[in-house]
Parts: sequence; structure tokens; C-alpha cells
Amino acid sequence: MADGNNPAPPPAASPLQSHRYAIKSSAHNTAASRRREQAVAIGKERREALMRAKRVCRTPLSGSNESAIEDGDMVIDDEKEGLETRTAQAVQELKSSLSSQGKGAQKKKIEALRALRRLLSQSEVPPIEVAIKAGAVPLLVQFLSFGSSDEQLLETAWCLTNIAAGQPEETKTLLPALPLLIAHLGEKSSTLVAEQCAWAVGNVAGEGSDLRSTLLAQGALLPLARLMLSNKGSTARTAAWALSNLIKGPDPKAVNELIKIEGVLNAIIRDLEKADEELATEVAWVVVYLSALSEKAISLIVRSHVPQLLIARLLASENLQLLIPVLRGLGNLVAGDGYMVDSVLIVGHSITDQALSSLIKCLKSDNRVLRKEASWALSNIAAGSFEHKKLIFTSEATPLLIHLLTSAQFDIRKEAAYTLGNLCVVSAGSTDPPNIITEHLASIINGGALPGFVNLVRSADIESARLGLQFLELVMRGYPNGQGPALVERQDGIDAMERFQFHENEAMRNMANGLVDKYFGEDYGLE
Amino acid sequence: MEVPPEMLDALAGWFAQTLSPDAAARRAAEQSLSSAASSPGFALALLALASSPRHDLQARLAASVYFKNELRRRWPKPSPDSPDDASDNNLPATDCAIVKTHILNLLLTAPPLIQSQLSEALAAAAAADFPAKWDSLLPSIVASLGTALSTGDVPAANSLLAAAASLFARFRNAFDTNTLRIDLKYCLEGFAAPLLEVFLSTSRRLHSSAANPLELRPVFDCLRLCSEIFHSLNSVDLPEFFEDHMREWMTEFRAFLTTSYPPPVEADGAPDALRAAVCDNLQLYMEKYEEEFRGYLKEFVEAVWGLLMAPTVSPSRGQLAVTAIRFLTTVAESVHHALFGTPDAMKQICDSVVVPNLRLRDEDEESFEVNWVEYVRRDAEGSDTDTLRRAACRLLRGLAANYREQVAALVSAQVQQMLAAYAADRANNWKEKDAAIYLVIALMQKPGATGGGTPVVDMESFFASVIVPELQAADWQSEPMLKATVLRFLKEFKDQIPKATALALLPSVTRFLTHESNVVHSYAAIFIENLLITKDVVQVPGASVVTRTSRYVAADISSFAQQIIQSLSTALNYPDSYENPYLMKCLMRVLGIATIAGQIVHEITARLVGILMEVCNNPKNPDFNHYLFESLAAVIGKAGEQDPALVPLFEASLFPVLQRILVEDISEFWPYAFQIFAQLVNLSQPPLSQNYMQLFGVLLSNATWDRPPCVPALVRLLRAFLRKIPNELNQEGRLPNILVIFRSLVSRASTEDSAFYMLNTLVQNVGFDTMSPHIGEIWSTLFTRLQTRQAVKFVNSLVVLMSLVSVKYGPGVLVSSVDTVQPSLFTTILQRFWIPNLKLIKGSLEIKLTTVASTKLLCESAVLLDAAAAQTWGKLLDSIVALFSRTDQDGAQEQNDGADAADSQRTSGYSVSFVRLQYAGKSEDDLLKEVNDPKQFLVTSLASLSAQSPGRFGPVIEQHVDPANKGALLQLCAAYNANIV
Repeated sequence: MADGNNPAPPPAASPLQSHRYAIKSSAHNTAASRRREQAVAIGKERREALMRAKRVCRTPLSGSNESAIEDGDMVIDDEKEGLETRTAQAVQELKSSLSSQGKGAQKKKIEALRALRRLLSQSEVPPIEVAIKAGAVPLLVQFLSFGSSDEQLLETAWCLTNIAAGQPEETKTLLPALPLLIAHLGEKSSTLVAEQCAWAVGNVAGEGSDLRSTLLAQGALLPLARLMLSNKGSTARTAAWALSNLIKGPDPKAVNELIKIEGVLNAIIRDLEKADEELATEVAWVVVYLSALSEKAISLIVRSHVPQLLIARLLASENLQLLIPVLRGLGNLVAGDGYMVDSVLIVGHSITDQALSSLIKCLKSDNRVLRKEASWALSNIAAGSFEHKKLIFTSEATPLLIHLLTSAQFDIRKEAAYTLGNLCVVSAGSTDPPNIITEHLASIINGGALPGFVNLVRSADIESARLGLQFLELVMRGYPNGQGPALVERQDGIDAMERFQFHENEAMRNMANGLVDKYFGEDYGLE
Repeated sequence: MEVPPEMLDALAGWFAQTLSPDAAARRAAEQSLSSAASSPGFALALLALASSPRHDLQARLAASVYFKNELRRRWPKPSPDSPDDASDNNLPATDCAIVKTHILNLLLTAPPLIQSQLSEALAAAAAADFPAKWDSLLPSIVASLGTALSTGDVPAANSLLAAAASLFARFRNAFDTNTLRIDLKYCLEGFAAPLLEVFLSTSRRLHSSAANPLELRPVFDCLRLCSEIFHSLNSVDLPEFFEDHMREWMTEFRAFLTTSYPPPVEADGAPDALRAAVCDNLQLYMEKYEEEFRGYLKEFVEAVWGLLMAPTVSPSRGQLAVTAIRFLTTVAESVHHALFGTPDAMKQICDSVVVPNLRLRDEDEESFEVNWVEYVRRDAEGSDTDTLRRAACRLLRGLAANYREQVAALVSAQVQQMLAAYAADRANNWKEKDAAIYLVIALMQKPGATGGGTPVVDMESFFASVIVPELQAADWQSEPMLKATVLRFLKEFKDQIPKATALALLPSVTRFLTHESNVVHSYAAIFIENLLITKDVVQVPGASVVTRTSRYVAADISSFAQQIIQSLSTALNYPDSYENPYLMKCLMRVLGIATIAGQIVHEITARLVGILMEVCNNPKNPDFNHYLFESLAAVIGKAGEQDPALVPLFEASLFPVLQRILVEDISEFWPYAFQIFAQLVNLSQPPLSQNYMQLFGVLLSNATWDRPPCVPALVRLLRAFLRKIPNELNQEGRLPNILVIFRSLVSRASTEDSAFYMLNTLVQNVGFDTMSPHIGEIWSTLFTRLQTRQAVKFVNSLVVLMSLVSVKYGPGVLVSSVDTVQPSLFTTILQRFWIPNLKLIKGSLEIKLTTVASTKLLCESAVLLDAAAAQTWGKLLDSIVALFSRTDQDGAQEQNDGADAADSQRTSGYSVSFVRLQYAGKSEDDLLKEVNDPKQFLVTSLASLSAQSPGRFGPVIEQHVDPANKGALLQLCAAYNANIV
């Protein structure tokens, strides 16, 4: 029954959310890849990203001549009420400083600004709400006017940075300040002013997609990207962080523009080559979003030196903050462009061995994000050529994946299952069901993976259940000596499949019933 | 929505008439309704009548049902395949628009019975239109919900929530696609916040209100509906809103689980229905969103646990317990299994959760007695609804995954304790033994399984001391539920029972076939059937392959067969087992394996024919009927082959019922009937009786072949006739008659397969002398069709047919007969169709046939050996090699499947589809038995051809064969040690 009795093909998935999916029994989409970001987001923005989305600026930027003055000038954390009173006073003084004229006026302004900034940066809980209520933002906007001194701009931007680091509603009060903050990102500003403004803009961008759209519409992308080219490490780092907040999407327009800006890719490469792990971390986040949202960006990145650098970082570092974006970026690249597996990770080249070792290292990690991302990246490499499958299969990854499949958290189980499934099949072209690599299949089953797949069939998650069914199909069709059906039966697989006997999802129902009929139906047991 | 009152009155009159006892009046009313249905506005009139307070409630209800059915059938559906053919019968767009505007409000004001019909009608329309083409629906629901909430009208809120629940149900089971996510996002934006508001305010109402069960029931229903919607909206991903408000939801969920409501409230069952919905949600969160949920895990495990241990008066505690245990199982299998890992916790789970739920309960006993089909389905087959005892065992298995030894020790002690209780008081404690056996089955380590099982007892001694005595007991009819469990144990353990032991037990088990309990005799039949197909794996010495051979063969069981057959026959007379598929399947298996002779053959044939006559009156059980025909095929096949003298007996008993199937047009049985006929023709000796010749007439009817499910069976029958009486074809214009049918079948894509099937059968079985007057006409029909139809499927079938002609009648006949249609036509066909399509042929027999035929053309056909045809020659060779290379890559699996691709499309719950009878014989045979390996045939043929003119073919190959294929060809030459010189 070449076509007739195979499980009904699931509907073709959008390329944005399908795995590189050799295991799929259907005719469609065998080489499509699953991108990280769902085109339609239902859940919260990812937590790892959220934790770093907004940052309070506590100490002066490096290179600023203020560092000396600040020492010994701590705000004593007194009672909340006292702090609030002082903040309201500071805003009042700021207001009056605006109207003061003549000699000493500038000094007065700076002092008022500095007083407010200290309260906002050196209190354990910055008194943002009071400052806003007292009317700080419109005043600060006036302090940002063109022609102001660098010192004034710096203090003002610092205040705004920390107000923007507050609650969502507090961040939104910065709307009137955005055009000027963006204007001061440009080349005419001093590096320090630009960097501080970038920080403020980064906090605003971290708030959510509405404010991101506003910033993009007001032209924040280009000056931030230029700022990332800076040779000064902290400036490049802050700009990269702010950029990564700005380009999160879900609209891919920003990343598509970013990758077209001259020098961006070179700056990414330059920064990933540097020893500075903090800088590399921020730049890696930029790579994450570029590779999550833009075909064009992926295509350029995979043909650059970036993959090598990411792999080297992944292998060498033990810093979780760095490893997460590096691994995710790498995963996006592998999923996003066949070139990565076909032409970069060539079996036999040392880069491929390094990539595999680094992924195995992550599989063994205690951190669940790393384990999940590594399984995901491996699943996409495992969808590559027969040689890739063989390389992974013979490595330490296989027993690790079998272990994850049977014992890890739900989402990791699922990724491990994709990988193991992909190790067992090679695509047979666009119209035929995939061919089974019997040796791999038998060994993975004998290694104890079948109960894990049967459990997937029982899963409340319909995608997992489908994956489980597809794997059972492979076992029944391809396990040596026709013993597959008996193995599945012994592992309570029939029982698991019968759950779909009257299921509402027609494709699943047909697939499960078709399999039970084909392998346990009338001719089962006859010669 | 204005409908004239007189129209409503007319409609109401018709509906009243449809309930009339007078058949003529009823038919007239139905006629009026169905003719009115085609006019625009009909659906609106139905809806108006359904919601018209001044009309009779019965007529309104009938109108609402009719309305629902109209919407289900005629609401325009987005159909990408056939946009045009849907439109005719669809409701007019204007009517749809009006329905969408009014249905929600009408639903809310309707009486309950009508409301539920309108609710289903709404769901039918929404399935196609919501949300993209019905953007007012969700806002209307939300607005009305707000009104219901502010006026405290819980029943109205429930109607709205029920409608919303049906809209959102799609998110539970659909695949995660972007389209689905867009719809979900829309629903979340509109509904997540109002849902929480209704949920919280209703929950407050519950906590504050006095315990009047009548008043509380809608409140519990409301909360349950909210919880069910929660599940639907959370199925795809964890939505941001729900993550942000998790604390609020979980706090209420926990309260429902931990609060005991006054006994009259609990006795109503509504609180447990709510709790079951909550447990489903916990299970979902635990499985998919464990990271976000983990903070709540401990308190919920305690709450659920407490629930399972608390005594209750609730009638729906059983279903709740299943969902509750399922939640605990997910926890036990998760990374948080350590919550249950202490010896105390495990002992408590075993004693307080598992064991109490293992024992048979009153409702199990009731189901065993009154609804045996459902009992067997749930107990033995596994189904979508878990039984409590199965859920309990699954929890144990889940625990055993991480705590194998501990679980084994606990269960082992438990089993001994239960057996001891039974030994102490057999009459009263048989349920203890039943539970013990159930437990052992559930944790049985199946041979060869790589995990999951937990050995809790020594299986051999358990079998000998616990199971066998029950089978051999003198009072075998007592305690039927225990006996059923014993038989189920046998089935699960069948591989491990030594053959001699099993055969020795067979008479005892056969007794149970006549047990008056439907479950017990079904289980006995299931066991025997399963036992007979036990396979042993035999290692082939020195090779890595193993073969599987049947453990039980005819000689082993023939001495028991008569008793088993008679017992099954008896059981088929028991109430509620007249169409028991388990009994019939067992009968089929015994008849298929055992050798029977003498009186029993007559008896069982008569019995089967009698049953068939009976089911012809009302075929309703496809499985039973399938096994019934298989049983007949098995008797005819096995006994008829041994003793040809029986054939007239079979004919005499079967003809009347088979003819009835044809005459009364019992279409689902046609494919079976033709297969049985074919079997009988194969067994008979010519000259064939008049009955068969009449049947041959049926074969020559266009209408017969027009039913695709029948065609494979008809082909078998035609082939049987052609083999027995090839000369009859030439008489009475039969062959031209067949060709008329062929032309009609080939003219439509849906029946062209049948046409080729028929023609292939003719060519295979009829000599060229008979065919030659007609072959030109056949070609011209096919080539005419080819001008308008060049689909791969058609062209491939044509290549197969031409190959068949070439192999059967010789390449010369093929070429010359095609060229009679038009000079040089063969070469054109070869170049344009044969060569390119050869690479696409599928199916091992088809591949063998076409490659051998192509090879013969290369080496034997003057047309191709002409020097001017060098390029064609090279390209044909190229295609052959390409086809070989592709099949190598496809691997072995497709080859196994390809042979019977065309004629086996088993679908369950068949309307009419072809179902092959296994016991009626094999369908295909290989025409080319003399060619063992087509690759070898190719290279050796080429080698001897080239030896006749050395140096001629090398350059042709060089020039016209693709380099990759040339390489493959050279490899083949090397492999078979042949040379093209």
C-alpha cells in the first residue's frame, strides 16, 4: 500500500513553525525548518529575555568624569516617606532651576538634576512614581533641548533611563521624551550622551511591542545600529542591548532593516571575537533576534564567520548568561537555513565536531533552557544528511537524548523525541514516505526509547501525540524482522493509540485507526 | 427578520403532520417540507417558528431540529477542493447573514429543549464562519454575558458560556498552526478577561450563598463551563493573560477541591463535575506548563489526594477519581516524582488511592450485566474513557518508572494479602482475588518489553496456583466477573504458556464459550482467537534474520475444533450475542486453521448461511459481518479443497443467500458475495451450472462495474471464470460486451482504475487468438483518451497494460497492433509516454513487469534494434536503470506494500468499500515466474544482445544514458558478472 494506508498527512505546517521534519510520514515539507518565534505569539515574551528587558542605571557610565565625585555620596535608604518627600522636593527644585536666569543658573540646573538623579539611581527602590507625579518628565524633556551641555544631557538622560526602568505605565510616560532621546543618539552627540540615551531608549523598547513600534517609527533603529559600531566596549554593549530590545518583533521589519545597515554584521563579528563576555552576550542577543525573524539576515549570517564564533563561544564558556543567547542563536541558524547544515556543519570538518561537543555539553547541563535549546538544535541537525544522522547517532548524544525523552520536562521530551525520530529516517523525496535507517531505529528502541514515545502518544499536547504516533509508525513498519508491532503492543502502544479511536482531530483519528488496522487488524497474525 | 404569519402557520401545520400516526399524512408533510426547503428564506422561517411563542411547543421543537440539520448540511463551508460544487445546495448568503444576526438572541430566550437545538445550530454555523466571517458574535456574547452577570441571571450566563465553550472547543484538539493561533488570539483578546470576571464573581456567589442544592446547581454548572473554557483557551499555549492571572484561577480551583459542600449539594453531582473539570486543567498545566505551575504543585497534590481519600455521597465521584488519579500519574512521571518518593507516601498511595479503586464497584457489576459491549470495550480493549481500576494501575506503573523495587515490594505484599483474604472466605471475598489478578496483569512485564513492567509475583507459580484452578473449577459458572478476569489474564499471558499446557487447558476454556455471561463467553473467544495466532520467533542459524512461525497448526487443534465450533455456534444463540463479533472472529480463526471434515462441515455451513440470511435483513454490524464472510470463505476454502465433493453442497446452501444479496441490492455485501462466488468458481469443474452462467451475465453489466468497491472482487470473479471457461467468452457476444463496459469505465477518471483492472485480467487470462479481433479497438480507445488525459496515474496504467501485452503476446504483437491504429504510432507512444513514465512506476509486481517488458523491447523488437532508433533505445535503457535505482533507494518497505496497492483500502466503519477476505485466497499472481530478478534479466539480456554485434551498443549507451545511470548500469553488470561488449 504505497500511499493508501499510510497515516493521513497532517496539514502542511507553516514554515515558520515546523521542525526540519524528516520524520514526518507525509509527503510535505520534509526539509522545512521550525523557527523559534511563533509568528503569532500567544504566550508571554520569553522569560529569559524579560528579566533583562529593563535595567536601572546605578553607576555612571565608564569614561565619565563623574566617578570620582560620586564616591561617598550614597543616598541613605531612609524611610519611604522621607525618600518620597525628598524626591518631590527635588522635582520642585528642578522646576525652579529652569526659570532661574543669569550667572549660576546653569550650575543650579545641574545640581538640581544631579539631586534627582541620585535619588533615582541610588535608592534601593527608585522613587519613580513620585517623580512622575511631581511632573518630572515634562521638565526633563525641556532639559534635553538641543544646545544643552553634555553634562546636563547626561544627567537628564540618566534620570529618564531610570524612570523608564519602572512599571509599564511609568515607562509609557516617557513618550514625549522619545524624539529628543533619539535625536541625541546621533553622531553629533558625545559618546557618553549617546550611550546614556541608548540606555533610556533600550528600557522603553523593553516595555513592549507598542512602544517598540513608536521608537521605530521615530527612527531609533539607525542611530542605535551606528552606535553599536562604536569601538568603545561599553557603548557598543549598551547599544547592542538596546537594539536587541528594539528588534524583538513580532514585526520583522526592524530586523530586515537592521541587517541592511552597513557594518552591522562586521561589528557583530568583531564583538564576538573579543574576550569581553558581557559584550558578546548582548551581541549574541542581537543575533538571536536577527536569526529568529529574518530570512535575509539568516542567509547573510550563516555565510559569515558568525557560526564559527558562536560554536567556539558555546564550547569555551561556562557563563550561563552568554550560553543561552549563543545557543539559541545557533539553533535559529540551524533551523533557518539549510546552508548551515549542508555547507557549514559538514561532517568530517572540525567545526562540526565542535558543534556536536558543545551541544552535548549543553544536553548535560543542569539548566533546562540549555537542555531544551540544545535538543532543538540537534533535532534540526539530525534532519540533515545521512552522515549527520550517523555522526549524532554514534555520539554520546543518543543515550543522553533517550534519557531526556523518558525523564525530562515536557518541552524537552518533545525536542528529544524530534531528534531521535529524525535520526531514524531519511527523506525519500517529496512524494514518498521517508525511508527508515533500520540500524538507528533498532538501536534507539533497544536503548529504551519506546516507552517514551508511547507516553508522547498519551500526551495532552496534540503535536506531541502526533510525533509519538509517527514514531510508532516507523517502529511497526521498519523494526527488523517485522517485530515492530509486537514491540509496540508490549509497550501498551495499542492501548495508547486507541485513545484516538473517536478523537475529534480527524487527522489523528485516521492516523491512529489506520495504524491499528494495518498492523493489528485482520491480517495481523496471518502469514 | 420578518416572516409572514401565514407561512409560520403552514410550517407549524406540516411539522404537526410529521408526527401524525397516519403514514400518508406524514409523507405528504415531509414532502411539503422538503420542497419548501429549496426556496430562499426557508431557514429563516424555521428559526422564526422555533422562537415563536404563539405556536405549539412540539412544532417549535421539530422546527428547531430541522433548522439545526439544515444548517449542518447547507451552511456554506470553505472547501478548497471543490468551490463550485458546494454552491448549489448551500443556504443563500442573505439567509446566512440574517441567521447570524439573530440566532444568539433567539437562543437566549428559547425554552431549554429548543435552546439546546439552536445552540448546536449556532455551533454548526460558527464552525465555518467564526471568527473571521462573524465578527459580531464574540462581542455579542460578551455583552450579553455582562448583562446576565449584572442581573445575576446565572442560567442565562450558562447558555452563553455553553455557546462560547462550543466555539472554543476547536482549540483543544487542532494542530498548532498560525491560522489557529490567529483565531485563538482573537478569542483571548475578547474573552479572557470577561471569563475571569464571570468565574470570580460566580465563585463569590457560591461561597456566600446558602446551601440550597436547586439554587446551587446552575452556579456549579457555570463554574464548570468556565473551567472547560479555561482548558480550551489554554490548550495551544499558555496565554499571557492566564499566566498573569494564574493566582486568581488557581486559588478558586483549590477551593473547589478542598471545600466540602453539604451532603445534599454533593449528592447532586455538580460539585464533582466541576472538580473533574478542574483536575483536567491541573493535568494540562502539569504536563505542558510545569515550569509556571510548579509553585502550585504541592498544594494541589495535597488537595487532590485529600479528595481521593474523602468519603462522599456524590454519584459522579468515579469520573472525578479517574481525572484526579490521572493528574497524580502525570506528577509521578514528571521531574517532581520525588513528591511521592518517600516510603510513607508510596504506601499511602497504594493503600488509599490505588487499592480502593481497584476493587470492582457496583456500577462495574451493573455494566457487566446490562451493557456487556461497553464493559468489554472499556475493560479489555482500552478506550478513550479510562476505567477507575485502569487509572489506578497506571498510577502504579508511573510510580514504578522511578521507584521500581519499592512499588514491586508494595504490590507483591498487596497481592498476597488479597489472595489470603480470598482463601479465608471464598464466597464473600472473590472480588479480592479479582483485584489481585487485575493488579498482576496491569504490572505484568511483557516479554521483550524494554520497560514499564514490574515483576510482582512469580508468574509461573501464580499461573499454576491462582489461574488454573479457576479454569478447572467444577463451579465454572459462578463468579462470572472473576472468571472474566482470569480469561483476560490468559490472553495477556498467552505467549508464556507452554504449548502443551495451553492445549491441555483448551477443553476447560472451551467450556467458558457456553457461559451464559456475554462478557465471559466473549473473553473465552478472544483468548482462543489470540492463542491460535501466537507466533514464535525462530532464529535462522548463522544469519541475523529471524522468521516468525505459527505456534499452533492444524494438527494441534483439530481434535478440539469440533467442540469449539459447536460451542461458538451455541453461544451465537445467546441473548445479546447474536451478532457478537468476538465469537465470530474466533470461529473464523478456528475454521481457518483447523482441518475439519464430515458432519461438522455441513452443520457449520448451514449455521453460517442461516446467520447470513438473518443479517441480510438489517446489516448493522460491519465487524461481525466481515468475520462471518471470512468464516464462510475459510470453510469453503479449506474443506472444499480437501474434498471437491463438498462443492455442490456449498453451492446449494450458498446460492440462495448470495442471489438474495444481488437481487435485493444489499450493496455492502456485494464485494463479499463476488469473492465467495469467485472461490466457488475456482473450485468447480466445468461445465459450470446454469446458475454460474447467470452470474456471468451480471458480470457483463455496466452497473456492476460502476461500483468501485466491487471492482477488485469482480476482477477475481472474472478471472475465475476466464480460467475455468475461457471459450465461453467468445460466445453470445460476451467479449464485445465486456469491451463496451471497458470503454465506459475508462472515460471517467474515477473509474479508469477499474477499466485497466478489467483489461489486465483479460490479457492475463485470454489467448491472443481471442483478443486479436478487438485489440486495435482497445488501443484506439485508450489513445483517444490519452489525448485529453495525461495524468501520471493514467499513463502509468497504460504502460503497465502495454507491458502486459508485450510479455504475454510478445513485443512484436504489441508493436504491430499499436501501429495498426496509425503507422509508427508505437514509436511515438514509446518516446512521449513510455520512456518518461517508466521511471514513475510503483509497486513491485508492476515494476518487475514493466522493466522486463522494456528489456524485451530493447533486445527483441525490430523497431528498437533499427539503427535509426539508437537514441530511443538509449533513452529506454536509461529509464529502466533509473527505475531500478529509485526502487533501491525506496528500500524494501515499499516493495512489500506495493503489490496490493490497488485493491486493499480497508476503512473502518465502512459504508461500502472493498474488504478483502483473507481466507478467500491470494489475489495477485506473478505472470513472470520465469524471471526471478529483473535486474539480472536486464544485464544478461543486454550482454547476449551485445555479444551478437560487439561494439554497437557501447557508444549508444555512452551517448544517451545519463552518467549516473550509466554508472549504475556498470555496477549491475559487475554484480551479475555480465559484460556489454
